[in-house]
Amino acid sequence: MGIETENQNIEKSMREIARNLLNNKQVDVVIGYSEATIPLSSSPIIIDNEKDVDKLIWNNLCYINLAKYLVPMIPNLIDPEKGKLIVGIVSKGCVGRALFHLAVEKQLNLDNVKVIGIPCNGIVNRKRIEREIGEREILEVSVSDNNIVVKGNDFEEKFPYDEYINELCKQCKVRSPPTTPGLMETCLGNCQEVDSVYDDFEDIAEYESKTADEKWEYIKDILGSCTRCYACREACPMCYCNLCFVDQNMPIWFGKTTEINNIIVFHLIRALHLAGRCVACGACSNVCPMGIDLNFITRKLEKIAKERFGFTSGLNPETLPPMMNFKMEDEQEFMIEED
Amino acid sequence: MEEKILKKEDIAKLYEELSKDYNFYAPVKEKGTIAFKKVSDPSEIELTYYNTKVPPKEVIFPQIETLFEYKLKGGDIEIEEPKNLDVKNLIFGIRPCDAYSFKLLENFFGFGEFKDDLFLKRKENTTLIGIACNSPKQSCFCTSVGGHPHKKEDVDVILVDLEDKYLVESISDKGRDLVKKISWLSDASESDVKQAQELSKKAEESIKTKVNVKDIEKLLDPNFEHPIWEEISATCLGCGTCTFLCPTCTCFDVVDENDKYNNRGRRVRIWDTCQFYLYTLHTSGHNPRDSSIERCRNRIMHKFCYYPENYNLLGCVGCGRCVQLCPVNNDIRSIINKINEIEKEEKISIA
Repeated sequence: MGIETENQNIEKSMREIARNLLNNKQVDVVIGYSEATIPLSSSPIIIDNEKDVDKLIWNNLCYINLAKYLVPMIPNLIDPEKGKLIVGIVSKGCVGRALFHLAVEKQLNLDNVKVIGIPCNGIVNRKRIEREIGEREILEVSVSDNNIVVKGNDFEEKFPYDEYINELCKQCKVRSPPTTPGLMETCLGNCQEVDSVYDDFEDIAEYESKTADEKWEYIKDILGSCTRCYACREACPMCYCNLCFVDQNMPIWFGKTTEINNIIVFHLIRALHLAGRCVACGACSNVCPMGIDLNFITRKLEKIAKERFGFTSGLNPETLPPMMNFKMEDEQEFMIEED
Repeated sequence: MEEKILKKEDIAKLYEELSKDYNFYAPVKEKGTIAFKKVSDPSEIELTYYNTKVPPKEVIFPQIETLFEYKLKGGDIEIEEPKNLDVKNLIFGIRPCDAYSFKLLENFFGFGEFKDDLFLKRKENTTLIGIACNSPKQSCFCTSVGGHPHKKEDVDVILVDLEDKYLVESISDKGRDLVKKISWLSDASESDVKQAQELSKKAEESIKTKVNVKDIEKLLDPNFEHPIWEEISATCLGCGTCTFLCPTCTCFDVVDENDKYNNRGRRVRIWDTCQFYLYTLHTSGHNPRDSSIERCRNRIMHKFCYYPENYNLLGCVGCGRCVQLCPVNNDIRSIINKINEIEKEEKISIA
């Protein structure tokens, strides 16, 4: 089955589930994706009426991690005393992982969420396609015969699908939202039971092969055009702090300018805060207006969490992540050795 | 013929001549996108481009700007004012929408009793050689907000791309002096001028997006509390993309940086945005724009209500950057359309 047909089938069953949920008053709203006004994009949508169900779409450009809209934007999801709002959420694998991880961190009550599971087949690396198309205007993007077809006024280019999805998506082992026995009823549609995943972190192999100096040069170069608009942070489902460290201003903790030292401090500390928490959705890279590929930093930390603590985020709503937990057998060779 | 011709192969020659007197800014390729940068080698200049992601306002209103530096010497304080304000800048290849934005920026920085000398001096020392847009993008809507892809009024010299050459027309006195100095430009023929006029018409017709902004301020003001703002802001993430990359946004923050180990420091101003929580956070802890509803509303109100009220102009030039780069495609054109719908709905309900 080609990706195009696969997407159409997903879209059809997703709309059906959403329609039923809204019809039967099982949810108050459904959060999903809708058609964007420009090509190579998509737009999140919140609907509360079955009339709008056909606005929901699914394709390989649905890059936003919708879990972002649950925390902290709908705070009464955490506090049932404020009145419950039941949300249906269109979930690819990484949205499902984000929901579980937010539940572990006590930011979300899964009882208030109905997961509309989707077997995602990878998100298009829109920034790479934009770069390669360069100064030609993209008017239409579609997926056909396992190619991403990009059309403009006087050109049509095909990009092999397997090659032009996000590097993260190429490695992804959790295409559908994970479930755990006992919590199955929260997931409708396509979900999967996952205990652990094997990940070879091929996407950061090139970065890791660099020397320390080369890594530093690479980071400086890649982050150089950052404007500190914080789109990466705002799109990240795990960045839900009420006040980000970088926004602390009584007193100011870190420099506010866009000089490279301050840019690097922001990105590296944000990444550290995501150690063992990143769900590898790639939203940060996909939303960056300057087209900066930020994933490699958080993926490196994900790898460390995996190697040292055998932990993969968002597979289970009860397993504590390494930074919230302590085990006697945890590796601690970086601490001062005993005599 | 007053119009001149600049052959594309002579761009390097033009650069060599003008870069003696000016900091020569032009579109260059940088990390896969186009940006206005100070050119040091004319081969960098990229002439095939739509527009830059970061608007050229950066040249006259940089994202970081030192207002002054100080040094502590014993008990004395030595203040260092910003230097190099008299340096002459030239922006080659600025698009008409961005050139128009400079005028809007000046409204803000030069308004009333307190004038911003840093900005005004830099603006005065900046010469604009614009290149008209022959092929506007789908996201462009300049013709709806008082602009035109071939608008000349806001640049000193306008160039029209005639494939292998540019038609050169000087607009301001500054532009006329500049063109006079470039003695080797050849004269344009009547057919060149005619071709440029045709291109202008074609470019105008190619802009399909029409946004109705007529009397929009009168519609916005009474609908400040309308529930539509909840809908408009529902999916906004709260990043600063739309405002940082907006050619007309002027907001800035002022920060003091003290380097106590070296007995010195500086006061800098940096771009700020009404989309951040911190923007209106009071010292008391109260925030009048507590949620994205108020923050999204402010951006629209500022451009389409307060700006017209204060300066009798719209605060948007229709460049389409926010349309293209918003992470969640919260399209400003759709927002304006939704606001226009309010009136219609109310008329229906009254009827």
